[in-house]
Amino acid sequence: MNNKRLFTVVISVLLFLVAIVAKLFDIQIIRSDDLKYYAQRQQTSVEKIPAERGCIYDRDGNLLVYNKNDVSFYVDVRMAKEKDKEAIAKKFAEVFHKSESYYLKIINSESKNACLEKKVPRETALALKEFKANGLYSEEDQTRIYEYGSLASHVLGYVNSDFIGQDGIEKSFNKNLSGVDGSRLVQKNAKGEMMTIEEQETKPTTPGYNIVLTINKSYQIILEEELKNGLNQFGGTSATGILMDPNTGEILALANKEDFDPNCYWKASDTVRRNKALADTYEPGSTFKTISMAALFDMNLCRADERVFAENGTYKFKNVNINDSHSCGWLTVKGVLEESSNIGMAKLIQKIKSDDYYKYVRGFGFGNPTSLKLPAEVKGSLKNPASWNELTKSFMSFGYEIMVTPLQMVTAYAALVNGGSLFEPQIVKREYDENGKTIFENQPKLIRTVISKKTSDIMRDFLYGVVENGTGKPAKVEGLKIGGKTGTSQKYIGGSYSKQQYNTSFVGFFPADNPKVVGIILVNAPVNSKYGGTVAAPMFKSVAQRIVQKDAVDFEQKNSGKPQPAGNPKNKAAYASNSGKNENKFADKILDDKSIFTKHIMPDLTKHSERDAILILSRLGIQYKVKGVGKVIGQSITAGEKINNRSVCEITCDELKISGAVIY
Amino acid sequence: MRIDYNLNDKFDFALFFSMLGLTIFGLIAIYSSTVHHPTASGNFEKQLFSAVVSLILFFVLYMFPTSYFKDSSIYMYALSIFMLLLVLVVGRKISGARSWITFAGFGFQPSEFAKIGMIFLISNFLSKQDTEIDSFRDILKTLAMGMLPVVLILVQPDLGSTFVFFAVILVLMYWKGISLLGLFIVLAPGLVAIASLFGIYSFIAALVVVIAALFYFKKDIISSAAVFAINLAAGFFADYVYKALSEHQQTRIRSFIDPTADPLGAGYNAIQAKVAIGSGGLLGKGFLHGNQTQLQFIPEQWTDFIFCVIGEEFGFIGSLIILALFVVLFLRILKIATSTKDEFLSLLIIGIFTVYLAHFIINLGMVVGFMPVIGIPLPFVSYGGSSLLINMGMLGIVANVYRTRKNYT
Repeated sequence: MNNKRLFTVVISVLLFLVAIVAKLFDIQIIRSDDLKYYAQRQQTSVEKIPAERGCIYDRDGNLLVYNKNDVSFYVDVRMAKEKDKEAIAKKFAEVFHKSESYYLKIINSESKNACLEKKVPRETALALKEFKANGLYSEEDQTRIYEYGSLASHVLGYVNSDFIGQDGIEKSFNKNLSGVDGSRLVQKNAKGEMMTIEEQETKPTTPGYNIVLTINKSYQIILEEELKNGLNQFGGTSATGILMDPNTGEILALANKEDFDPNCYWKASDTVRRNKALADTYEPGSTFKTISMAALFDMNLCRADERVFAENGTYKFKNVNINDSHSCGWLTVKGVLEESSNIGMAKLIQKIKSDDYYKYVRGFGFGNPTSLKLPAEVKGSLKNPASWNELTKSFMSFGYEIMVTPLQMVTAYAALVNGGSLFEPQIVKREYDENGKTIFENQPKLIRTVISKKTSDIMRDFLYGVVENGTGKPAKVEGLKIGGKTGTSQKYIGGSYSKQQYNTSFVGFFPADNPKVVGIILVNAPVNSKYGGTVAAPMFKSVAQRIVQKDAVDFEQKNSGKPQPAGNPKNKAAYASNSGKNENKFADKILDDKSIFTKHIMPDLTKHSERDAILILSRLGIQYKVKGVGKVIGQSITAGEKINNRSVCEITCDELKISGAVIY
Repeated sequence: MRIDYNLNDKFDFALFFSMLGLTIFGLIAIYSSTVHHPTASGNFEKQLFSAVVSLILFFVLYMFPTSYFKDSSIYMYALSIFMLLLVLVVGRKISGARSWITFAGFGFQPSEFAKIGMIFLISNFLSKQDTEIDSFRDILKTLAMGMLPVVLILVQPDLGSTFVFFAVILVLMYWKGISLLGLFIVLAPGLVAIASLFGIYSFIAALVVVIAALFYFKKDIISSAAVFAINLAAGFFADYVYKALSEHQQTRIRSFIDPTADPLGAGYNAIQAKVAIGSGGLLGKGFLHGNQTQLQFIPEQWTDFIFCVIGEEFGFIGSLIILALFVVLFLRILKIATSTKDEFLSLLIIGIFTVYLAHFIINLGMVVGFMPVIGIPLPFVSYGGSSLLINMGMLGIVANVYRTRKNYT
């Protein structure tokens, strides 16, 4: 009988064994890959290693913005027992010289994670390295440091808590500054503690590029101080100043007051944070007369010795009174500018056709963004001649019925005084990677030649006269030739021009015979005085005086008439000799081809150079946007399509890759 | 050659080396799972020490005169009950159960020893001339001998061990030759009890089956009613015991129904065990290279979940080797059990066999996901001094019976 029972027992055991083996076969052979994947997924995790954000320097290598690696300490309240909480509070009180109850209060006021100390410097954090308690953990916490506080805040911008640029260079160059985050594969045990790092799976970080600005820190300080002084002296809601190298388009200083501290940007209002130098527009007033006059001279419609009667202050023109701030009789053309006579200017501008005048205004860059690489730039407003009324041209000649940004104004003046070349304004001089290898080096970018060198020479002479003899006298500096033009415009508030509120401005340059710096000072609604000559000009004077004092040698060289050291002479020479000529030739060709302009048909821009295309587009009088550099490879309005004044054409450019030999 | 023949005749090498193989495999797995552990890194040395002591005990019991075993039955049993009572008074509580006695720095689990005590006594009782296994009275007597330690162990409470005790009682009665009816009477209350844990409907269904079986056996009305009443009581008793169980044991039983429902809770170990074994694949990740083990995804892996270490680091092949060693061990024990002419010794060996088998089935069933997570070690392989000592001691008795098998005719 036992044999039968033995048999039953053996069969039962074997059945179980078969079942076990089948199950093991299932999970170890059939489903092994799935389970291996599952195991790996729970044992390892990919951790992000944030890339170091690039630093920002001024043009002389002064460090303006950098990062500080701090450590923040937290307690996961759910993990910490009473004993741990007390130990933590005791240790922190010891290290940070605060009371134990202070920390206990923080811990007990939270239900999940309590932040004990934020952004503790590394040296201090070392004291806590050995200290361990349940629930206590630390995290690397970087801080973006703006070394000089509010200095150049509107240029630099700021980053949010995730280190993403929100304004200024930080925003427009966010991608380059950020670099590429790395990652590493870590093995974690069941409690989530890191055990090992899989070296071969580690992806290293690529630190962000460092950026060298065109900004000169000393100039920036001077400009900001003088803007502040001016606001204190004259009152006003805000003041803006820009200094630019007219030979390269490089911005040397750019500031608005009030400004803010990027280290704690949240304390400032949106209005204060707005970069008014390029995000706000104003009617330029008399500073625009120079633009008008340049158009007249460039088309040979005016002679320097020509005389015009200024009607002793009041002139009824097409049923509207035009007034001068101070009455004048007969004036030379130069006198019109020196005395800033609206009447004289309005009379002279009648000599030029609206379309031609419009093309010059547009040529100087008005009505288009300057493409400075800072966020939030606006293009102002420039009406197309088709929508002009009979007064528009006259009023525009002395700076009304047109809205411009201070940046557009200073860019146009740069072209006005440098020989006629309109450069794209630049803010970044150089970008380089962590090894010091240059990634980007700024070259002056000529947009177009607006006026001839002859016209430019005349304008420079006229503007020198304005400061020597005319309304710009308050800007005069002993021993320095300064040229410039004042501007005062009534603010347009609620549908009519205000009698109380003015925009007062001064656009100037020095040294007058070979300008190295061109600048604008704009004071919004000053209280104690209203004229550009009495408010903005003295502020410009102070700025110029201090800059020259600082860089005395530099400017003396200039005054002696030697070639200017600033900018890139080689480049400029190239533009002047080669490209310039070609440019003009090409321009002549298309100007001859009447069909382009009469039919309002989009021409084929592809294969043309970027500059040729822009020239054609500006001659066509339509707005354009440019992407990339090199030859035009695409245009948003296809060739042959009808265009009108409101058309916006976007052209895409790229360096064409040429294979094989090319025979010219 | 003559000497070799004699030695083979006296000593069962297959039995011994399969035991030794399992113990060595266990030591390797214990080393791997504890060497990098912050608090358990001394476990390998402790187990090695236990193994040496256990081997000595093996040989002592191997050489022991077999006649002494039967005579000592009642004392062994009495000692077991005494220690089970003692542990309830002076026992150390570890993870909710009072099952350890600490003496001079050594921990010991009386429930391990009680298995031997019970096997001895029941084997002794069943092998008596006048014992009638199919009589209602003797079934009750046998059950009573078995239930006394079971109740004491349930008080600790240690659920896992009681399953082993039930299995041993059942198999001993079966080996003695209990009839189908007798088996039904013994087995039915247990099945009804388990059914009751699954809810009221399965409980009623089980009772219906019991009634049907009673009609089949056509016993008198009084006996049938008594059997039915016992079954009914067993159902309620199981329910009571379930509620008396500690929280973690309750959730372990619940999680058996669906281990994936709460992957971080009760089903966590079951899932992690499967992941560890499965990720080992055919050949395993190699000694000390099982990430799942080294990263401690299974708590206290060196005890009940030791098979996971082998499955992960030595793969399907390693698992099969362990299973093969057990098969050799089991077949040798069964061979010895049938070859001895003495009924007491035969029953004794079958009881010991059942202890191993029950541990083997419950442990592996748990590890691969056939059964709920019931904390019970894998014989010879899992970490644990008293378990290894008792297991090797018991096998010493088995080897002894092989040695002396020709003394009985």
